[in-house]
Amino acid sequence: MTYTDEITPKERMLAILQGKEVDRLLVSPLILNFASRSLNLTVRDFCTNGENMGNANIACFKKYRHDVVYLFSTTSTLAEAMGTKMYFPEDDAPQVETPFIRTHEDLKKLKPVNPEKDGRLPVYLEAVRRCVDAIGNEVFIVPVIGAPFTTSAALRGTEIFIKELYTDPELVHTLMKVATQSVKNLIDAYVKAGGVPVTVEPVATGSMISERHFREFVLPYLKEVYAHIHSYNLPGVLHICGKTKRVIQCMAESGADILSIDNIDLLEAKELVGGKVCLMGNVSPADGMLKGNPEVITDMVKECVAKASDNPKGFIVATGCEVPIHTPHENMVAFLEAGRRYARLPINLN
Amino acid sequence: MEKSDILYRLTQAVIDMDATRAAEAAAAVIQHNVDPYEAIIEGLAKGMDKVNELFESEEYFVPEILLCADAMNAGIEVLRPYLPKETTWNKKKVVIGVVKGDTHDIGKNLVKIMLDNAGFEMHDLGRNVPHAKFVDTAAEVKADLVCLSTLMTTTMDGMQVIIEDLKKAGIASRVMVGGGPISPGFAKNIGADGYAKNAAEAVKVAKGLFQEIHVPLILKTPELVSVRRNQEGVR
Repeated sequence: MTYTDEITPKERMLAILQGKEVDRLLVSPLILNFASRSLNLTVRDFCTNGENMGNANIACFKKYRHDVVYLFSTTSTLAEAMGTKMYFPEDDAPQVETPFIRTHEDLKKLKPVNPEKDGRLPVYLEAVRRCVDAIGNEVFIVPVIGAPFTTSAALRGTEIFIKELYTDPELVHTLMKVATQSVKNLIDAYVKAGGVPVTVEPVATGSMISERHFREFVLPYLKEVYAHIHSYNLPGVLHICGKTKRVIQCMAESGADILSIDNIDLLEAKELVGGKVCLMGNVSPADGMLKGNPEVITDMVKECVAKASDNPKGFIVATGCEVPIHTPHENMVAFLEAGRRYARLPINLN
Repeated sequence: MEKSDILYRLTQAVIDMDATRAAEAAAAVIQHNVDPYEAIIEGLAKGMDKVNELFESEEYFVPEILLCADAMNAGIEVLRPYLPKETTWNKKKVVIGVVKGDTHDIGKNLVKIMLDNAGFEMHDLGRNVPHAKFVDTAAEVKADLVCLSTLMTTTMDGMQVIIEDLKKAGIASRVMVGGGPISPGFAKNIGADGYAKNAAEAVKVAKGLFQEIHVPLILKTPELVSVRRNQEGVR
């Protein structure tokens, strides 16, 4: 690579968190299941085995030296640990097969998770520990947790669940409370394992629900989650993909310090909430990383930097959502190289 | 009770997401000898048209549409036994589904609801649908339009496979695509006839595909409309 770094991703992140001068902005593509490619694993083998998930992410980091190592397979992992049945395609992310809460009667079986035992959470914990041991001195290890609304939707079935915002708000709140406790339990376990947990709440995207429902059913629980994360002196990160213009104000009120956004213009986001939160985004995963070429991706990275590098509360160069697993290696290299070049401080896009 | 009152109640029950009131108003249709077909078109469907507008103007979102559709269906269920058995509506036939590998079907369901209401005959294949199933069903029902949906980047290439297979099988259906990762540019590249960014736009695009005279449509994806026009010019 032409543009190399002089400090480690961890040193950079710490400097930024402490408000010190730093060489460049963070460059953090959402490498999730894509990490499986670094050891030629199928996604199924990657996400059902802690040794694989850990080792693939370690190999992936050694290859790309990206600023944050995320651990993730699906937004429904927490719901799975609480009882939702998943199906595991051979080489794609797991998807919900049968939601856990079919009837009101099933609510009796609902309880917060024990991360050391339930579902695939032990797989994640092992992956976190392995990564912390191997590369934790150089980079933060960041397991990704499905936030309460997304977890509740996967517990109940999304289509039924969002109708119940009207027809059974009591049930929604019941699920949200237990899901929130599960999120907090998992945060505790990840922190203990040396990870820095972040949260994703894609079901609460503005393409799905109104701002009114976000305020009533999502925001109070997110506030609880970020207060909990802050109790560890860690920053709150909230990722919501899709269209978020309608809900970005609420996102900024959740207590999250960093908003990872996808389908919204960065200038608009900066205008709306840039005085309150650090922004992170938003190179297109499909048109850029998967279907684009190094030239297209370089332009997209430049555009993000041009639009948001002066965001008052900071900016992180990222993809809008998960890097597709079939993203060509040269496209990933192009993203990182463009980031290292154009996000260098002071910003100079020429 | 006046017919106009009953029709208004049907419309309003749909807009208000109230299945109980929709069923009651539908019962009043029968009781007062109102034409049940007219009650659907001028009452329930009119309500869904308004819902579509509310969705476009971002006053209604996904939960609202699903509940409005439930209310409409509750009304239709009451009226169904009174509808003429043989109808000779010359509806355009649509095959719709979520492509193989993906089980996210809310977007597809919204498009189905909206196209159904706009007068298309819907054949819903569900989710995680094998590529060949689209082709087979399109041939079987003589589909005018095949609608492909996906939320995942891993399954979007399946759309191109289906479009190619439809061509190979000599099926003349038009194809409309949509879903989270799909862009107008991608749709154009894989040879789709239409792209819609949401369910409300899907109705406009689908209607646009079957206009005899090409009045320019106010679409957010003008390049696709022009692509289609050029292709037709060649024919």
